[in-house]
Amino acid sequence: MSTFIKDFIEREKLSRRNFLFASAAGVSSAALVGPLGINPALAGGHGGWSMAWSYRDRASAYWNSVVSGGEAYVESLGMASSDMVNLINEGSSEKSLADIKAFLAKNGGKGAIACDANDSPNARPVAEAVRAAGGYISTIWNKTDDLHPWDIGDNYVAHLSWSGRKPSADAARLLFDEMGGKGGVVHIGGIPANIPAIERLDGLKTALKDYPDVELLDVQSADWDTTKAAEVMSSLMTRYGDEIKGVHCANDNMAYGVIEALKAEGISDMPITAFDGNPEAVDLVMKGDLLATVFTNPHWGGGIALALTHQAAIGAFKPSDEPNAHREFYGPSILVTPKDAAEFKAMYLDSTPKYDWDDRWGLSAGQIQYK
Amino acid sequence: MLRNLKLQSVMPIIVLVVLVVFFTFLNPNFFSLRNFARIAIAASPFLMVTIGVTFIIIMGSIDLSMEGTVSLTAIAFCFCFLFFGGTLGSGGWIAIPVALLAGAIYGALNGFIHAKLLIPSFMSSLAMGFVGIGAAVLLTGGGIVRIDDDIFRSLLTYRIQGFPLMVYVAILFLIFGIIIQKFTVLGRNLYAIGGAEDLAAASGVPVLRTRVLAFSLAGFYYSLAGVLQVAKLGQAESVTGANLMFLSITAAVVGGVALWGAIGGVFNALIGVLIVAVINNGMVVIGLPDYLQDGVLGVLVIAAVILSTNRSNIRFVK
Repeated sequence: MSTFIKDFIEREKLSRRNFLFASAAGVSSAALVGPLGINPALAGGHGGWSMAWSYRDRASAYWNSVVSGGEAYVESLGMASSDMVNLINEGSSEKSLADIKAFLAKNGGKGAIACDANDSPNARPVAEAVRAAGGYISTIWNKTDDLHPWDIGDNYVAHLSWSGRKPSADAARLLFDEMGGKGGVVHIGGIPANIPAIERLDGLKTALKDYPDVELLDVQSADWDTTKAAEVMSSLMTRYGDEIKGVHCANDNMAYGVIEALKAEGISDMPITAFDGNPEAVDLVMKGDLLATVFTNPHWGGGIALALTHQAAIGAFKPSDEPNAHREFYGPSILVTPKDAAEFKAMYLDSTPKYDWDDRWGLSAGQIQYK
Repeated sequence: MLRNLKLQSVMPIIVLVVLVVFFTFLNPNFFSLRNFARIAIAASPFLMVTIGVTFIIIMGSIDLSMEGTVSLTAIAFCFCFLFFGGTLGSGGWIAIPVALLAGAIYGALNGFIHAKLLIPSFMSSLAMGFVGIGAAVLLTGGGIVRIDDDIFRSLLTYRIQGFPLMVYVAILFLIFGIIIQKFTVLGRNLYAIGGAEDLAAASGVPVLRTRVLAFSLAGFYYSLAGVLQVAKLGQAESVTGANLMFLSITAAVVGGVALWGAIGGVFNALIGVLIVAVINNGMVVIGLPDYLQDGVLGVLVIAAVILSTNRSNIRFVK
């Protein structure tokens, strides 16, 4: 724990110091050397381009994993991981946009940025600001349906997202098979208005069509929260009792609560599926407490979003020459089951696979579909 | 007038009984020992937090630091438990007094900042709650700390008369809370300050010391909730205390603890917690769609407050 804090503070200090140094150098050199076309502040970025990842915070395993992907890409260019600037928006769209503008201004527009714009409407002003400054950007997760990279131009390289529908349906099929193809199932969902919550429930409903003897008894939201999921699950036990033969959860954290609620009842053999592929969930799959979880490979997502942007910036490929499926695509998802959990853990959690960042769309799960 | 007052004070119990009858009528499964045990499990950590904040509300102040304190002490408990071998037998029990002491110290600090630096308790405690959550994030790095010890988890899994051990622990500290409220100088001073602080001070009540002690006591109860939360879920993370702020203050008020101070007590906290826990459980048991539940909870809370508090002598609310 203390190493974590030390690392954390060290990392924050470094990125902040770099940012301050670079700002100071950028301002002075823009005035003195800028007109001559040589800017020493830019020499740090590969091909003269500085790189940044703009995201929410360091408080979750998910974002730490995304950032580690970005750093892996930067290191693959022979630079230090600290050469990637962390623009942390702390859940504020305004800060997200302001940070990106500042980063571009400091680098004379020569910035390659990967970004989660914090909320969907913010993606457009961010993309337009980057285009206006002559920089390059790719986004993940948040973007409105009417905004497309090809409408903005080459400066908006790509958008990457993950669909919950298919992996959630795959998990549900595994669950139904484990139940013997019959009996009652309950769904513990996320905040009802969240897109991932809607998609993951949709996936379950799709799978139900193939299993006429499985009945969806109830759908209850537990707001992605472990404590609430435990309470909801025990209340469902009062309502349905032995009718419940399987539980389909919209994320790992809620599945932990469900497992504990059932443990309190003395039930340890109920098949339960989850979503997110967190290390704890994978351990539970290996122990047999959880039937499956879905891993979305945030490390690769974080790396490839930055790689695409930087490679477009240095001219390694031209975004407008690519098909739309290369500009808006789904990231990969892997169903982790007891059969392959140990192998999965060794490959993805205990070590980090080395990715070939020139294989730009190798892990893409197809073009993003809008409903 | 006297009859009204009496009716008012038993009103929370009547509300609770009416709710139980109502949910049982719609689904007879509600009225079963197994379901009462489920409600009791959900209510145990929640009751500890509500008793803690009740002491502060009696004093006429408010404490909003519970989410941060619960998360921080739950995480401290887990780290300490794992440090001493990860089982209760190997020395992990040391984590229990350590966590409780940490909660009491954090609470005392909270009270000291409020009372000594003269910052309104609303603001100082909210800030201390944020500090707690921030520290929890820093300690865990956004991750989860798990406890896998079967002996410790017997708080959840071992049952006496159909109820898990943790419920008896909560009852024990409920009684402890009632004793403090009724039979100690601290308990009486809380009411004196809540009733009229300047009069209390003029009569020799050590206001600063009482305030710090009260917040420390609240912190102690929050850390109890943290330990019970870990017993219940087998894990701690920076969001272990999430939602407890709204729920505990709601429960206290619904149970008849008035936010203007000196009215109600630990027993009201118990009834309020049971009302909120019964509503949360009952809504799922009768099959209310999830998108209606928040709205229904809000309406029931307002109804419960109207029925259970005496508002006839209040000239203004703020």
